[in-house]
Amino acid sequence: MRTIALVMTLLFACGVEAASIYGGQSTAQAVCSQCHGIKMPSAGAPFPPLAGRDAEYLQSALKQYRDKTRKSDIMNNIAGSLSDQDIANVATYYSRLKP
Amino acid sequence: MKTTKKLLSHSVIAGLTAALLPLAAESASDEKANIHKLYENNCASCHGSDHGGYLAPALNSETLKGRSPTAMRTIIMAGSFDTLMPPFYGRLSDDEIRGLVNHLQNTPKLDNPAWTIEDIKASLKVYVKDESKLPEKPTYEIGSMDDVIGVAARGKYGRGDGSKAVFINSVTHKQIGEIPTGTAAHIIDYNPANPRWAYVKTDTAEIFKVDLYSMQAVRSVKTGYNGPGMGVSRDGKYIMAGSFVPHNAVILDADTLEPLKTFELEGIDPDGKMVTSDSGMVIGTPFDDIFAIALENAGQVWVVDLKKDQDFPVTKITDVGHHLHDAFLTHGGQKLMIASYDDSIVAAIDLKERKIIKKLEAGCVPHVGGGAAVEVDGRTLGFGTNFGDCEKTVVSVWDLDKMEVVKQVPVDGGTESPAAHANAPYVAVDIISKDRRARTIQLIDKKSLEVVKTLDVGGHAYFPEYSADGKFLYVSAGYSGDEVVVYDSNSLQKVASIGMESPAGIFSHGRVKYITRGLSPDEMKGAAK
Repeated sequence: MRTIALVMTLLFACGVEAASIYGGQSTAQAVCSQCHGIKMPSAGAPFPPLAGRDAEYLQSALKQYRDKTRKSDIMNNIAGSLSDQDIANVATYYSRLKP
Repeated sequence: MKTTKKLLSHSVIAGLTAALLPLAAESASDEKANIHKLYENNCASCHGSDHGGYLAPALNSETLKGRSPTAMRTIIMAGSFDTLMPPFYGRLSDDEIRGLVNHLQNTPKLDNPAWTIEDIKASLKVYVKDESKLPEKPTYEIGSMDDVIGVAARGKYGRGDGSKAVFINSVTHKQIGEIPTGTAAHIIDYNPANPRWAYVKTDTAEIFKVDLYSMQAVRSVKTGYNGPGMGVSRDGKYIMAGSFVPHNAVILDADTLEPLKTFELEGIDPDGKMVTSDSGMVIGTPFDDIFAIALENAGQVWVVDLKKDQDFPVTKITDVGHHLHDAFLTHGGQKLMIASYDDSIVAAIDLKERKIIKKLEAGCVPHVGGGAAVEVDGRTLGFGTNFGDCEKTVVSVWDLDKMEVVKQVPVDGGTESPAAHANAPYVAVDIISKDRRARTIQLIDKKSLEVVKTLDVGGHAYFPEYSADGKFLYVSAGYSGDEVVVYDSNSLQKVASIGMESPAGIFSHGRVKYITRGLSPDEMKGAAK
């Protein structure tokens, strides 16, 4: 019974409302890290680092890219594939990483 | 060190200037030369200076026939996921990318470009003139130089500030130094006779002589256009380097890096055809004053004698296999186990008799990496990994005394390099299949010869290596990953992470004490002196 309660709590915690670090890690590795790296982008890369950035800022920037209120050929396309949940997850993941 | 950086940044500036020259103002031939320069400065370190492929696919009019230019532009801009191909968006302009695509689709594979002994001589750079003024002992805290572990950091773009050899104290897991290499570092070898010297070879075939005590490069030389092959002789006096482009090899004085003799790599392949050949592995052995070098396409192993007063004579062992690649030593360094990609065998060669002992079944496209051998219950077992991502993916285990297959251990995917240590319970292999499996390392129990644990390392996890004392397992989380992860060899708990760009091969200084990773240093006693 206690186990079930625990599982329910966990499920709730990872539900639609809350951001999942693990989901964020998976999106970061599959989508973002190719250019931005995980902890740091390449020393020679023209892409900004994401690790340790403010989660609110990352979320709003990604939503602006997705809605094309902020223009970037590459980012408009990439953010276009992300759901609200993906954006919340990935912003939380990067914001909690130490660069 | 400052000198190195300065020289490197000079060449980068020269490259950039060339790339930025307004193309429209140039004549057609200048334009072609400029585009080729753009290729050299961005693509060639992986795809080959001759457009014939190297770590990455061949890019020429034949291989790219019928490919959509739009799709190619997309790959160049965004990179290719699960490979080393980085995104060039923001680094190259749209015009440059279009120009490159057009150039690649209209350029045939080039003839072997010349890189002669004179070119090698002229490329020698001296960063520290007077080596007698170097410190007499390490300028950092370290118990034994064997505790130094080196990582070849490729850098995301295979060149630039992220490309370096990084040295770590494998007891504290703290970085103790780094050597910028300009282009991707690939192989790190240590001098068996003097613990202060290391040699780092890049994908553009440059060799840096590194003083580990002061952590700086003292000299460098460019031995070709592309190719990682490098070995150091047991007396620490010679280096042999082999290239993919052009098809040659060179013996260098390990002290001055001056070239002593070059070798044209060509011969009759197992099908009776005369071919010129890429260099595969180059290896020195504690068994004798010799180098062994694999001629990949000619299917031959050459044994080069280093006896004084001789002009480095060569004994050729022919018909070893179709497309040879890498190898490891056993039996005091007398026997060489060499992988043959296209026959899916590993050939055992006796370096004393200079002949083939036996060809052993080896799974699918064997790539033995640095190789691994362990002693279990009185038997010496060799472990062979396989590049191929075939229906049946296995790690081969051979009895190295009887020279027979003991077991083919099923693993999750293709593998590239095994790591073992006399004091560690597991043989680690890296799964490289191009999906989430690439994040993992699998551990094979030495005794049961079964996979007992899978580690989710992250990035593209490859090139496992044990610390010299066997207490820690180092793994590169490479490609888009950017750290080396350290595990406790017994508990397999993660104990440290060291950040760097696209880490690849890991090389423990302890290697100079073993014939092959996994064997006890006592094995060395068997080596002839």
